[in-house]
Order: sequence, then structure tokens, then C-alpha cells
Amino acid sequence: MRAGVSQTDESRKPAEHVSLGALFVAFLKVSLYGIGGGGGLVWAHRIAVDQQRWITEEDFADIVSLCQFMPGPNIVGIAVCIGTRLRGGIGALAAAGGFLIIPGAIGFAVGMLYLQHARHPVIQNILGGLAATGAGLMIATGIRLLMPHRRRPAALLFAALAFGLMAFGKLPLLVILFGLVPLGIAVAAIENARVR
Amino acid sequence: MTASAPIALTLHLALLSSISFGGFPTVLPDVHNFVVATHGWMTDQEFANLFAIAQAIPGPNMILMMSFIGWQVWGFPGAVVSAVATFGPPCAIYFVAYRLWHRFRNAPWQRIVRGGLVPVTIGLVIASGTVMARAADADWRAAALTVAAAALMLVTRLNPLWMLFAGGALGGLGFL
Repeated sequence: MRAGVSQTDESRKPAEHVSLGALFVAFLKVSLYGIGGGGGLVWAHRIAVDQQRWITEEDFADIVSLCQFMPGPNIVGIAVCIGTRLRGGIGALAAAGGFLIIPGAIGFAVGMLYLQHARHPVIQNILGGLAATGAGLMIATGIRLLMPHRRRPAALLFAALAFGLMAFGKLPLLVILFGLVPLGIAVAAIENARVR
Repeated sequence: MTASAPIALTLHLALLSSISFGGFPTVLPDVHNFVVATHGWMTDQEFANLFAIAQAIPGPNMILMMSFIGWQVWGFPGAVVSAVATFGPPCAIYFVAYRLWHRFRNAPWQRIVRGGLVPVTIGLVIASGTVMARAADADWRAAALTVAAAALMLVTRLNPLWMLFAGGALGGLGFL
């Protein structure tokens, strides 16, 4: 009798049975595997959708678009959302903790080692090379993100305005966001009305 | 450095992380302005160093970069508090937003808001790269490396870690 009840519960929400430890370990892996260049998204998908089957492909896409649309590090947002989905608030803490605590401590220790020797000329040169390369990678990431929008002149215009105001106008971010985003949304609403 | 520096830095990071649409790279130029130009807590060179280190470490690297800035301003407590100020507010926002999300998942206004917001955040990511390039590229050789990295990233599927490795090696061998 009792077993029967728990079984129906199980089929209704299998999510209840994901342990907090499993969530912690899964996002620890996502964090450690995804070093450099947005690889975290790939690993989050592989582990949460393909391997563990915790959520469906559709749910994952839904979570990714929500996270893109919110402030903060998107990949941490994905951890928080999947954790919330599976185990509520405590699940969000476990997933975000797995993502942040151990990798953060390792990264911090490695970074401190670099900083201790930052004045050494060879380290200085290596850091110079890394910073120059990293800046290039960031520019390229932005250009890649822009590609799907290349047929929307309004999108290109707003991207160019945000770029110019930040890189050359040196305006505070809040001013740029509150100036451009409402305008951008208004233009998008007009475009949307025309399509209909 | 005044006694209020830790508070000013923490509040500023918490504010920026709450509006960091598109991830922390979008707010990097503002952080740079705040710690280098406004407060003079570190030089351009030191800021570029922290950015470089953040490229070369495992883990959540933008959070760690803010942690290093906190360390420079007020030591170990600064490192911890700055990290929390960087990921705490967004995590709380994600948590609340996810619970509301399903209610509005098919609403047409969501597509419109995204269409207005996303291009702006993309422009900001490219601006961040440009601001960091200006801090990092002392001469034409470093600038050429930035351009080469961007081009390789755009036209090949090479793992960015190899490019960072090559950039660090070129620097270490004294080619920059």
C-alpha cells in the first residue's frame, strides 16, 4: 500500500529523487570541464540532459533563454534553475555551490600564485600575451553572438550604439542600459507589430 | 585609500552584478573605470594583469577576477565579499525569475523585450573586449595578437585554451 503510493509519487515527479550530492557533483564537473570560452553550457547540457536525464531538451532550452535574459553569469544561472527545478531552493544552493565553491577555491589559489610573481619579467610577459589574447577572444565572442541578428538593422544599430557609448563614450553602464534598452524594446515592438 | 573603500567596492559590485545582462563581461568596462580611474585603487597595468590571470585559471573566472580586485583593495575578506557581491544578487534574481518564468513562458512581450535587450548586451560584450585590448595592448605586436585571436576564434573551431596558451607562450618568450 505504502509502496504503491510512493510509486505514483515517483512517476509524477521523479525530480524529488535527485540527491543534493548528485547536483553538487554534476555542477562541480560542469565548472571544471568548461574552462575557457563558454564550454560550460556544453557540459551542463551533456550532464543534465543526455547523461542524467534530469530535464528534457525543451526545458533546457527554456532555461538557457531565461538565463540569457537575466543579469549575471548565465552558466551559474543555469545551475540555479536546474537546481530549483529538481529540488527547490536547497537544490539551487547545492547546484550553485557545486559550480562555485571548489573551482573558486582552486582558481583563487592559482591566481594568488600568479599574483605573487606578477612583477617577475617573464610572468609579466606571459600575462601580457594572455591579456591580449583574452581581449581578442572576448571581441570574437561578441561578434559571434551578433551574427544571428545580422539581418535586423535595428539590432545592429543598438549593438553599435551600446558598443560606442561604452568603449568610447565611457558612460556608466546604468546610463547606457536605461537609455538604450527601453528604446530598443520600443523598436522591437514596432517591428513585431509590422510583421503581424 | 579610505576606510570606506571596502563598502564602496562591495556596493558597486553588487549593483553591477544585478544589472550585468549578458554576463559579467558587459560590466567590465564599468569596473575598470571605477577601480582605476575613479578611485585609483590599481593601475591600468594591474587591472590588465588581473584580466590575464582570470583567463588562465580554472573555475568561474569573472567572479574570480572580481575576487582578485577585492583582494587588492582590502585583502582576504575583500576577496570573499567581492565574490559574493558578484554572484549573490544574480543567483537570487535567477531563483525568483525561474519560479515566475513558467507563468509567462509564451507571452509575446517576452520576445519583444529580448529583441530590444539582447543587441545592447552584445554591443557591450564587444566594448569590453575593446576596453581590455586597450589596457593590454602596449604596442602593435600585442594588438596584432588580439586581432589574430579574434580572427582565429571567428573562423576556426579551435579550442580557445590553445590560443591562450599560444598567447602566453609568445609573451613569455619575449615576442611581445
